[in-house]
Amino acid sequence: MAELTLFSYRSGHSGLHRIDVRFKILGLLFISMVSLNVRVLSLTILSSLLIILIIDCRLQFKSFLREIRYFLILMLIILIAHALSTKGTMVFQLYFLSISMHGLYEGALICWRLFLVVLVGLLFVSTTRPSEIKAAVEWFLNPIPFVSGKRLATMLSLVMRFIPVILDQTRETAAAQKARCVENRKNPVYRLIRLGIPLIRRTFERADKLAVAMEARCYTENRTDPELSATRKDWMALVVMILICGLVVSI
Amino acid sequence: MNIIEIQNLSHRFDDGSYGIKNINLTIQKGSFVVITGPNGSGKTTLMRHLNGLLHPSAGAVKLAGMPVSEDVVKARQFVGMMFQDADSQIVGETVYEDVAFGPENLSLERVEIKRRVADALNTAGLTEFSEHRPHLLSGGEKRRLAIAGILAMNPQVIAFDEPFASLDYPGVRQVLRHILALHQSGRTILIVTHDLEKVIAHADRLILMHNGQIVKDDLPHNILPEVEKFGVRQPCDARLGMELRSWLN
Repeated sequence: MAELTLFSYRSGHSGLHRIDVRFKILGLLFISMVSLNVRVLSLTILSSLLIILIIDCRLQFKSFLREIRYFLILMLIILIAHALSTKGTMVFQLYFLSISMHGLYEGALICWRLFLVVLVGLLFVSTTRPSEIKAAVEWFLNPIPFVSGKRLATMLSLVMRFIPVILDQTRETAAAQKARCVENRKNPVYRLIRLGIPLIRRTFERADKLAVAMEARCYTENRTDPELSATRKDWMALVVMILICGLVVSI
Repeated sequence: MNIIEIQNLSHRFDDGSYGIKNINLTIQKGSFVVITGPNGSGKTTLMRHLNGLLHPSAGAVKLAGMPVSEDVVKARQFVGMMFQDADSQIVGETVYEDVAFGPENLSLERVEIKRRVADALNTAGLTEFSEHRPHLLSGGEKRRLAIAGILAMNPQVIAFDEPFASLDYPGVRQVLRHILALHQSGRTILIVTHDLEKVIAHADRLILMHNGQIVKDDLPHNILPEVEKFGVRQPCDARLGMELRSWLN
């Protein structure tokens, strides 16, 4: 059975939980864009703000670090690559490999920025119901001509609904193949094909069954619209966020 | 009053074979009917014609006098359908959202949707699970969620396709208890199953299908002695010549 991860909605009563999802999406975009273009002092301010929000949402930082351990490895690789490829004052040299102070500093900044983007994403996902995200996607896409916001929102929601099911299916198929000693076959391509084909077939079968079940429940694109309501509090939160973003950009 | 009328219904697949052939059947309002037969006998194909999921090659289905082909959406609202694989029919990311899916498709007002979902969750005993993620529920709970999703659409007839498949004993009892409660609330119940053991004690009619045709249609105790000739196992009580007993006792 697929387990719950930190990157999933957690019910709560924090300030972020209460903000309208559309404003949260705007916040996610603003902070992500701003954090990619600022330096140390601004990044410190943004990090402090996000840490306060994490504490307010009662998210466990340790679990978060465990969840993103592979991403941390990727950041380490980025740091090393930057340190090795940027010219500047030499810190360390071994044969043809040389690490520069400037490279280390720039690499650390890039990692810090990426880390903040992930942190903002975590805050958004863990304080927003998937149905609210779906409703907001529908709301943002509706004014765009020739794009069916409702259809895209339903597709998005089905993808979110089916990711854990597909992961379960993968584990089940892999376990069934291990029970029949697939590990004795050393060729990874052979193993990938043997895992991939039944998995794809079963995923399509499930999708087919789901389509029939949706039809049986009268699925149509002209459905009851989702509930979204912006209050004064949401607008105030947006203004505060724009001010903070303006401040960190101007520093 | 006949709530379902099926006249000369046939369904031919793309390869030319018949899924069902010349089915004539009437089902009375408020009845509890079990349709049985071995795999490939046409049970599920027949069931899927009741709400227009499959279209007949010949013949017609009428629901309370109205042909299904006239208004498929109304037919789907009239006949709620629970499929064998409960996992595959869950659409929502939470229990509440899944139950609300049907009423939202009917474009009901949000207040009415909330009322219907609350009632359906209460009837299915899932109120405390409303914020849970459906794929983390147990097998029995998933079937109950499917029942709640159907109930929220307020159907007159509920058709269950193998409702007890891959459930443990407590799960079977839970689902059976809910099916009986739905029947007692006045709904017409159709159960499609090859496993008569768990439900036959409650049925007031048994229909036996074989090779896409209805071969027997009578009171359960009149047909049970013959079901094994058609590839369906007799319930233990019937084999031992005893009175049929409920799994709830």
